Amino acid sequence: MTTVAAVIVTYNRANKLSAVIKHVLSQTRQPDWVIVVDNASTDSTPAVLAPHVEEGSVTVLRLPENTGGAGGFASGMARAYELGADFVWIMDDDCYPDADALAELVRGYDAAHQGLGVAPSFACSVVKWTDGGICEMNNPGTTWDWARLLVRGQQAVLVAHCSFVSVLVPRWAMTRFGLPLKPYFIWFDDMEYTLRISRAAPGVQILTSTVVHDLATNHGVNFGQIDDANLWKYEYGIRNEGSYQLHHRGTVEFLAFARHLQRMMAEGKVPLRLRLRAVQALLRAIRFDPRPEFPRSVL
Amino acid sequence: MVAFRIPAGPFELQDAAGFDEEGPDSLDDRERRLAFGAANYFSFVYPGHSLRLTIVRGPRGTYPSLTDDRCRHIGWFPDRVPVASLRVRSLVPSTAPDPRMTDLVIDIGGGDENIDTYDQLRGIVGKARRATRFFAPIQYDVARQIRTDVAERRSATRSLPRRRPAAVPRRVDGEGSGKPPAVLFGLHWLELGGAERWALDCIQLAKEAGLVPIVITDRDSAHPWITRPEFDDTVVVPMTHPIVMGHDAALLDGVFATYDIRGVHVHHNTWMYDRLPWIKSVRPDLPVVDSLHILEWRTGGFVDHSVCMSDMINEHHVISPRLRDYLIGKHGIPAAKVKLATLANLTTGNLTEEAAKAGHGRTDTFTVTYVGRFHQQKRPYLFLKLAAELKKAPGFGVRFIMHGDGPLAREVRSLRARLGLAGDVELRGPDQPVSATLAETDVLVITSENEGLSLTSFEATAVGVPVVSADVGSQGSIVAGDLLCPRHTYPFVRAASRAIQTLASSPDQRKHWLEEQAGKADALKRLPTGVDWARDLYRKWSRP
Repeated sequence: MTTVAAVIVTYNRANKLSAVIKHVLSQTRQPDWVIVVDNASTDSTPAVLAPHVEEGSVTVLRLPENTGGAGGFASGMARAYELGADFVWIMDDDCYPDADALAELVRGYDAAHQGLGVAPSFACSVVKWTDGGICEMNNPGTTWDWARLLVRGQQAVLVAHCSFVSVLVPRWAMTRFGLPLKPYFIWFDDMEYTLRISRAAPGVQILTSTVVHDLATNHGVNFGQIDDANLWKYEYGIRNEGSYQLHHRGTVEFLAFARHLQRMMAEGKVPLRLRLRAVQALLRAIRFDPRPEFPRSVL
Repeated sequence: MVAFRIPAGPFELQDAAGFDEEGPDSLDDRERRLAFGAANYFSFVYPGHSLRLTIVRGPRGTYPSLTDDRCRHIGWFPDRVPVASLRVRSLVPSTAPDPRMTDLVIDIGGGDENIDTYDQLRGIVGKARRATRFFAPIQYDVARQIRTDVAERRSATRSLPRRRPAAVPRRVDGEGSGKPPAVLFGLHWLELGGAERWALDCIQLAKEAGLVPIVITDRDSAHPWITRPEFDDTVVVPMTHPIVMGHDAALLDGVFATYDIRGVHVHHNTWMYDRLPWIKSVRPDLPVVDSLHILEWRTGGFVDHSVCMSDMINEHHVISPRLRDYLIGKHGIPAAKVKLATLANLTTGNLTEEAAKAGHGRTDTFTVTYVGRFHQQKRPYLFLKLAAELKKAPGFGVRFIMHGDGPLAREVRSLRARLGLAGDVELRGPDQPVSATLAETDVLVITSENEGLSLTSFEATAVGVPVVSADVGSQGSIVAGDLLCPRHTYPFVRAASRAIQTLASSPDQRKHWLEEQAGKADALKRLPTGVDWARDLYRKWSRP
């Protein structure tokens, strides 16, 4: 029997965490473990988690410091692997999965395995915004043959990468490719990881598995939106994506990314001072090439 | 006169000289069994022949030569002494019985001691390596770990070539009737070792299921375990290489012609793995299983060999969760083919809070212990380096016990003196019981650079002793997460030193880690056992 560990990574979002846990615990296909990775939250997160720990429905992994989404997911997935889970189901702390989300992911993954003749590297849900429309920043990238399963009647499309908002990752992918890159801290860790594991086989987006991503606003992100408030996050994103392009694709791709970055910032009229910071982040990518950690087999 | 037992085998004994004599030069039981092992081999290879075997003994430190090409030459080196002779007639069925006499010379080697490969390093490079490890073992280890890093990185990105079975298997003849049912085992050698201990259990279980074990080894050895009772009523074929070209097929044909082989169980045997495509080609009906113990990064070892041959293997038995994940996750072997069944005696005894408390401070001085062979894989010198670090820690009274022996014993004694630890580190030989040492121990340290799932970790758990271990192999399945230390030399010493000082100073933390360790041991205990798996397998094979 297939076992699934749900992994929720949280940081200072106590107001939404309860709802996330409630949605996870009310799945029609219950996860065998629910692991909440508390990234050293300084708000009331521990108090929110306490009753769940007491009733035994949730395992809390509290990290001594904030390791970002990348570190949180890597730690939670490693713990799920140690527990012996066949799959981990990962999500942010503002993701509300619909009741059948996990059941459909598991069913859809198996059906895609049968249909493709090869095990998909991951299965992800359709991510909606609170108004029922598509969530702009959580759209997976499709493969050239994205409709291969669709034409066979399966409600699934082939994808190459996705964000960490309701993704089912099989154990074998962690064994073979390791964990998300902790040093990325935030941004592009999900893209890098799903691209890495999809080297073995494409991922699938299961169209009947749906979740709601409770973001404050619903718009995609681009480098033309850099401002003083969000610069810190973009710096991580630029360094991480630059590192990926340079060390995993090639110099030409890295230069193309640099050009794209400059063009987007120019179109967005990003102040020169912030553009300079972005370029500095890009240059840091040259020496930034972290290697994945691998999970430990315990049981 | 010494009565000797004529073992089960595919031959008729016609004459034996020197086998039942008393005296300093007479054959001992081990040597007799080696000679009969050679007779087994040549009886299979030369069906129907009469075989005249001249048995010679080599000087100390030489391996036997039992089945290789040299046996066909009736000259022998001047330092070999003829000590016995044997005349047998092969009973292996043959379409054209050949009454020809074949003369052979069997060298039973020079004693039953293990010849460590480290001592065999010759030439300038070998001498340099030996000198480096003797005088600078820590730096030598740093270099070894870097080499392992490179091998690990290569392994992470490398896919192994998979051998394919014959596309059109041949027709299977119904040739089993009337012959003794048997199982074909492939073993590395008949020496002390975890894999060999498990192989012995399997051989005994096969006999209990009514199957004749045919045991083929492929590694040079004095085979000290050949005298063990498990090998009574067992057909042992201790191969020495290089065998004559064509003898491999002749040997297997002879085995199949004489016995009703019901299955093949490969333990650690390179020769047998390499013959599986041929075996599956001529006998596609024959079930093949193997038992896997440990990942060996630098060489790939038997596990990678098994992966390459997986299409010829019906079931892989693995002894640890890590090996299961390696086969299924890394190499995509179907989960249904991989059977996890543990080997260790997974008892945690009566480990309780009281036992843990009683265990703490059982002597006046905090005692840190090493239990294991003094062998490169176990890195005893790293324990001494750790002891030196702990001794320097301010306000930390500690004593050390090293319990074991082995090829690095001289290095251990020398380094102990050089590090000024002669008064702090007590050396104990294997003549003393491990249980007595563990009873005095506050923390057990495992410094190995590679491990399967170490038996001493379970023994320590049973008596309430926490284990600090290098994070290698499947040690994570038994040792508390915080007490797993990096494999690399200096990081290991730093992490282990911190963990041991915490264990000594914080009873609460010690209790927490012990509980985690006991919990892991209990979880492993609930997994299927290898003995049950093998017993069921052989029972199934024994049914007509």
